[in-house]
Order: sequence, then structure tokens, then C-alpha cells
Amino acid sequence: MKNLTQNPLALSGLIIIIAILFIAIFAPWLSPYDPNYIDIQSILLPPSLSHFMGTDGLGRDVFSRMLYGSRISLLVGFVAVGIATIIGTFLGAIAGFYRGYTDSIIMRFVDIMLSIPTFFLILAVIAFLTPSIWNIMIVIGLTSWMGVTRLVRAEFLSLRNREYILAAEAMGASDYRLIAKHLLPNSLTPIIVSSVLGIASAVLTESGLSFLGLGVQAPQSSWGNILTDGKEYIQFAWWLSLFPGLAILITVLGYNLLGEGLRDLLDPKNKNQKK
Amino acid sequence: MLNYLIKRLLWMIPMLIGISLISFFIMHLAPGDITASESAFNPKASEESRQKLRALYNLDKPLTTQYGLWLKRIVKLDFGNSFASHQRPVLWETKDAKGNITKGMIQDALPITLMINLIGLLIIFSISIFLGVTSAVNQNKWPDRLITIIVFIGFAVPGFWLALLLMYWTGVTHSWLPISGLHSVGYEKMGHVAQYVDLFKHLILPVSISSLGGLASISLYVRNGMLDVLQQEFITTARAKGLTENKVIYGHALRNTLLPLITIIGLSIPGLIGGSVIGESIFAISGMGKLFFDAVLMRDFPVVMGILTIGSVLTLFGNLIADIGYAWADPRIRRGISN
Repeated sequence: MKNLTQNPLALSGLIIIIAILFIAIFAPWLSPYDPNYIDIQSILLPPSLSHFMGTDGLGRDVFSRMLYGSRISLLVGFVAVGIATIIGTFLGAIAGFYRGYTDSIIMRFVDIMLSIPTFFLILAVIAFLTPSIWNIMIVIGLTSWMGVTRLVRAEFLSLRNREYILAAEAMGASDYRLIAKHLLPNSLTPIIVSSVLGIASAVLTESGLSFLGLGVQAPQSSWGNILTDGKEYIQFAWWLSLFPGLAILITVLGYNLLGEGLRDLLDPKNKNQKK
Repeated sequence: MLNYLIKRLLWMIPMLIGISLISFFIMHLAPGDITASESAFNPKASEESRQKLRALYNLDKPLTTQYGLWLKRIVKLDFGNSFASHQRPVLWETKDAKGNITKGMIQDALPITLMINLIGLLIIFSISIFLGVTSAVNQNKWPDRLITIIVFIGFAVPGFWLALLLMYWTGVTHSWLPISGLHSVGYEKMGHVAQYVDLFKHLILPVSISSLGGLASISLYVRNGMLDVLQQEFITTARAKGLTENKVIYGHALRNTLLPLITIIGLSIPGLIGGSVIGESIFAISGMGKLFFDAVLMRDFPVVMGILTIGSVLTLFGNLIADIGYAWADPRIRRGISN
């Protein structure tokens, strides 16, 4: 933790993420209006003191909708990446530990998944199911575990024949113990870094899907579906496009900064290299 | 080299089978019978086309038989006909009894997406090689820091948001550039030169947006690659024998940095094809992405399945070409020294 304050990248990322977390938790107290309250009297008002970010096509307060939208992006990011990390770590651990045929089969499966254009795959699955926030999270998770698998496998392969692992094996440690107690804790760095970076791309994917109308459904607000309105009213209401995009940009930037910063911090190879 | 090629080609077979299995699995994700769920969503699907769909996918037979029969059709590149769009063939043109040719939907859409993405790829590489090299050569000085900031922002910008802002800026407030489609009204009556100018104007925004994501990642890749290469001994040797710095950078270091980029091109293909969905929908360009998106909205399953399969197969071939290119460019693989 002491090092974290010395790395400006990681620190600024962390501050952004904590700020968003704060906004998401306290959204009900921070928002000046009910995010779903439709007010026909005040449609498409530009930003002013009473509506910081203006109002949308139904007269709803954009600022309040933005605050609530942060919840969606956090939820989707964490759940989707949680699913991807669990699947990826599990498959990568098995492939790297047992090697041989198990490894070949798992890695070929990874290759196959990687050759299907991800966004098409996600859209196709959603076409057959119905769009909802839960489906989105599951589908993003199920289509983004391949990178983690490759990382964990590579890490396991390089650790597998270290002396401390061989020693533990010689002392009769079970496969489970070897994996869970010895190999996995020593592979945590790349897993953490790739999870943080994964959240960034999950947030982008969710906003894209919601923008297309296939993600979070109205009246629930997400930054992506506010942008859908932005596109519809692009000739009259610039504020509907500007603010949600900025929010996505800052969030994704935050996760990326934190991820890259952690990579520098946690990787012992970088310690001497740095400046 | 020949051994490598044969091995690489043989690997394609299990990969293709895997892709077909996944596509087939997705098709059966729908609760119940896809003809039933489709009927609720797609009013254009008549009872007749539903019957056709049932026959097409042999929905009354057991799963394994269904898969076998489906695979048999896919191998012959028969993806059936769309529900909507006057039931055009999904992939390629067909001739009816009277000799009228109906063009395939993918046949029309693929060249457009490929054109945009290939131009995009060209732009990505020229700009990001420049940015990456500048960054690496000036490591930790202001050009490097500036480029790093730009790259980080480039990673985080949602492409569709930038597209909206650009549309607003260039199209709505200033009317500098056309913001939808690929051709103006009256395109057919223009002269050849005017047609090219018109197409060029329409391409500026979509191509810029499609290059955005790749620009950031490849600049970063070139920068890190250059930094690695610059530390190696042959660079010290090159400097020691008195070559100019330019020769060292562009003659020795850059060439060795660019080699792995060939693989990156291959890996970026699924992103290029898939990433076109939002961009093409915003700019109303009828490429693969928009075709796919419209099909998803209309629950036009033959088109969805067709594009998913074709897109994956194209990616597989893209990777194959990239691998062969890499092997060809790397003498160690070419001469079979390393495996």
C-alpha cells in the first residue's frame, strides 16, 4: 500500500474508482430528482442550475440518471469480470498443471473462442435470449475468459517445475493443495492486473450494447442508453451525448490506469527498471 | 516451411468443427423452439417461412442428426434465405427458374466492411508506428509522456461516443461532412472523379472511428517492442560500428519490432469485423456490422447464424495468413530451425 501512493498512475486510477464507488453507493442521496420521474413540462432543457446536465426527451433529470447509471457500470464490470476470472483461472490452472492432452484440448477451445468475433457472439446470444442486465453480465463474462486462461496457464507452466513446487509434491501434497496453496497464490499478480483491465473493457462493452438498445432496458438508466437518446436528439440536445460519454471515458480510464499501475507495482521485474 | 504449412492447415479442421459446434449451440439457447420465439418478435415471418425454418434446421429430428444435417449444408456454404428483405439468400447470389439473379446479403455487405477496415488498418499502422517509435526514442521525455497520455485516453474513449460528437461537430453544426451512408443522393449521375470524391468524404468519419481503438493498442505495442529491441546487443553493435542513429532506429530496431506485428494484424481481425457493428449502425453504412445488427433486432436467424459462422471462418483464415506471413518473414521458422 505504501508503494501505491508513490505510483501516480495507480493512485489516480484508484481515486477515480473510489469516487465512482462513492457515487454509486450514495446515488439516492446525491441525486436531486427521481431518475425515472417523467416531467412533460421540462423536456430537453439545457444544463442549468436546477438541472446540472439538462433533461432528456421525457423531461427526466440527466444528472440523476447519470448518478444511477454508475451503479450499472460498476455492477456489470465486477460481475462480468468475476465470471470471466473464475472460468479463466479454473481452465488455465488445469491446463497449466496437468499439461499434455488436457492442456491441448483447453487451449484449442481458447483458440476457437478467440476466433469468433466477440461482439458478434454477444449480440447473437442476446438475439436468442432477451436483453436484460443479467443476461448482459453473463454473456460478457462467458465471452471474455480466454485471456485469463492463457495468463494463468503460462504462469503455471513457468512455476510448475520450480523447486518449492517439486518439494511440496515430494512431500505428498495433493493436486488440489499444490494448485490452491502453492501455484495460485504465486500467480495472483497477472490475474489481478488482467481483471482490472477486464473491467474497463466490460464497461465499454455494456455501454455499447445499451447504446444499441440491447443492453440495460428503459426505464433503468445506464450511460449507454442515455447516449441512445443523445443520438436521437443530436440536433437539439448536445448535453445528452456529452456527459454520459465523458463518464464512460473517465471510468474506463480509471480502471486502465489502476491496472497498468498495479502491473508496474506488483511485477518484481519492473522494480529496478523504473526510472 | 512446407511441414509447418501442412501442420497449420490440418489444425484448421478441428477449429472449424469447434466453431460450428459453438454456433450450433448458440442457436439452441433460445427457450423452446426458435421458430416459436421468432414468431413473437418478427411479425414479418409468415407461417410459411416458419415451416421453412423448421425444415432448414430439421427441428423435429434429434440434436445430433440436426447438427449433422446443418453441418452438411454449411460445408456447401448454404446458409438458407433471410426471413425479411424479400427472403434474399444469406450468403451468395442465386438464380431462380426464370434466370433472375438475387444477390446475397453477405455478398453485398462484406466488401463494404472490408474496404473500411482495410483503409483503417493502413491508417492505424502508419500513425501508430510513427507514434510508437517517437515515444520509444524519447523514452520518459515530453513526447513520450504526451503520446502515453493520448494512448491512455484512446483506450478509454467509447468509439460510438466520439462518433456522435464528430457527427454533431462536422455534420450538424458545420455541415462539413456527410454523416450517413456511403453515397450522396444522385451518386449515379456523377462523373467518375466526383464519385470518388463523394465516397472519400463519406468515408472520413467512419474510417477515423474504426481506426481509433487499434491506434492506441498498436502504438503502445510498437513503443514497448522498440524499447525491448533497443536494449539488445545487436543495437549496441550497430551503434558501435558507427551507423547513424536513423539507420540504427529505422534499419535495425524498427524491422525487428515490426515482425511480431504481423501476428497482431491477424489477431485484430475479429475486433475489426465485430467492432463494425456500432460504427456502421451510427453512420448508416450497410456493411456486415449493420446487417448483423438489423438481423439481431428482427430475430432473422438464418442471417445471424450465417454472419456468425462466416465471420469466424474469416477470422480463422486471417490468423492463418498472419501465421504464414510470420513464418515467411522469420528465417528461423522458414528454415525449420525452431518449431
